[in-house]
Amino acid sequence: MSEEKQLKVLVVDDEIHIVQVVAIKLRNNGFEVITCENGEQALKLATNEKPDLVVTDFQMPVMTGLELVQNLRSNPDTAQIPVVMLTARGFALKEEQKEELRISACVSKPFSPRELLQSIEEILKATVPA
Amino acid sequence: MKTVLIRVRKNVRAVGVRSYRYIFIILFSLIAVGMILLIVSAFADVSRGVLLAGIISATTASACLAFFHFRLTTYINQLTYLLKNAKLEHIKMKRASDLGPLAEAIVEFITGYVEKSERIETEQTEISLQLQLLKKQKKNIEEIIYSIRDCVIVTDPFDRLLIANDAARELFGFGADAVGSGQIGEFIGHSDFVKTILHSRRTGLRHVKHEFNFETNERTKIFDCIISCVKDEQDVTSGVVAVLHDITREKQISQMKSDFVSHVSHELKTPLASINAYAEMLVDGEAQDTETVNRFCSVIQTQAQRLNRLIEDILNISRIESGLTKVKKEHLSVAILIQDAALMIDSYAREKNITVKIQAPIICDQVYADRDMVSQVIANLLSNAVKYTPAGGTVETAVQVNEAEQIVRVTVTDTGVGIPAGEIEHVFDKFYRVEANKECAKGTGLGLNLVKQIVEKVHGGKVFVTSTPGRGSTFGFDMPLATGVTCKTVLEK
Repeated sequence: MSEEKQLKVLVVDDEIHIVQVVAIKLRNNGFEVITCENGEQALKLATNEKPDLVVTDFQMPVMTGLELVQNLRSNPDTAQIPVVMLTARGFALKEEQKEELRISACVSKPFSPRELLQSIEEILKATVPA
Repeated sequence: MKTVLIRVRKNVRAVGVRSYRYIFIILFSLIAVGMILLIVSAFADVSRGVLLAGIISATTASACLAFFHFRLTTYINQLTYLLKNAKLEHIKMKRASDLGPLAEAIVEFITGYVEKSERIETEQTEISLQLQLLKKQKKNIEEIIYSIRDCVIVTDPFDRLLIANDAARELFGFGADAVGSGQIGEFIGHSDFVKTILHSRRTGLRHVKHEFNFETNERTKIFDCIISCVKDEQDVTSGVVAVLHDITREKQISQMKSDFVSHVSHELKTPLASINAYAEMLVDGEAQDTETVNRFCSVIQTQAQRLNRLIEDILNISRIESGLTKVKKEHLSVAILIQDAALMIDSYAREKNITVKIQAPIICDQVYADRDMVSQVIANLLSNAVKYTPAGGTVETAVQVNEAEQIVRVTVTDTGVGIPAGEIEHVFDKFYRVEANKECAKGTGLGLNLVKQIVEKVHGGKVFVTSTPGRGSTFGFDMPLATGVTCKTVLEK
């Protein structure tokens, strides 16, 4: 992880404990983390803060994770942000949707923060120039 | 002469009617001989003995002739009378007379005729009875077909409607006059269904099962369709019987169950995800100070409790439904249970900046109920009220005692999102979640069903709800007032 440039991750989940645990894990490993509880807030934060990656829950009130990604992709400023989807219903997300919306990874709940971190680091290594 | 007559008579009886010819010839011969003797005696000298013999023979023969003629005429008249009046038994009695063979032939003919007539009469009676029986059976079968709740449609080889029971007529909206008056395509608008019937008739496929969607009164109903071909003796399809079984409800239940499994799996996985993640964080040493360690442990504990509550909810409903639940009833004050429940919800309400108001005075509000169950009912109603009320709102509880009706009424009123009119009747249904409010909060759709089961099934009470979308809802229940308890007033704390 480059020390000059702290990578910014947006974590979105209506389940506060999940947001907190992901945030702590990422912060402990050198990331800057911004958090929010629903898709609407996430969309605003993504536009304003331009995070390097978004970790979002699939099922959320107000705006689902899928709708959030669709909105991110439709805005040129946020279209390229890699997305990691947390889901308690792996079957709800079709492979075509995943490809179409360029979702980098799907992580099923219950998940391992360790593996999530690994996955995020790999994605960022591939997408963000060092 | 007498001997001759007796012999003749005997012979007549023996040889029958044909013998009369010879008797008459003999008698006429005797008369002729007598007459010749008389004529000869008038012109020639004949001895008196010969003359006397001639006279006697002619007279006797004439008398016999007259006697036979009389007897024959009498028999014929009697037979005519008996035949005209159909007195067969009397005719049989005449068998012994001189006209025996004739009488016997007539009797045999008539007896045969009568027997045949009787046989035909019996057969006719049997046919008539069978016809009545068949008519009755046909009526019974028709009644059975017409009373079947499934739609039954029967067509003939020309695809015309032969039978359509009430359910079928209701589904397709045609009258009784459609039966037998035209092809099914004229009365049934569902082209796929009609095509399937025509196809089955043409191909002779005995059983075809399809799922058909029918639009009825702005509702889509799903039917399972079984089509059987009726085959004649030459194995040619002579018609089709289509039975449509409404599986809309089964489909709904199946969908509800699948939604429930999906919901429950999500609800179970959410606390499990927290427990798993925080436990791993502890193992990986991500909690760098005691305070963080304690915080992580606390999250694990609360999430484990949440998981337990959810599992308990599912098990409780299942136990109540199956009648396996153990109920420990005692005299309880509902208001005190409300106070306890309000304390438990307090942190959640404060987190959302919602004011929970509790009615203070408690007047004779004792119920005979299971403490844990009633506590759960109140906790569920309060938690729902807080869950579906936006920040800054109010949740208010009230207890009323109606001594006349011997009931205690508990209400929980919120200033929440409310429930649309069309959905309000379903809110106590198992797994049901108000579509418009799904995004406001997560839930399994079990809480209110558990409330209903506990209040109504276990305690003989009644749940109710009123709501104005956008302004709030009032959920409540009535429970029978405990009998034999002295009323007392507890003053405001």
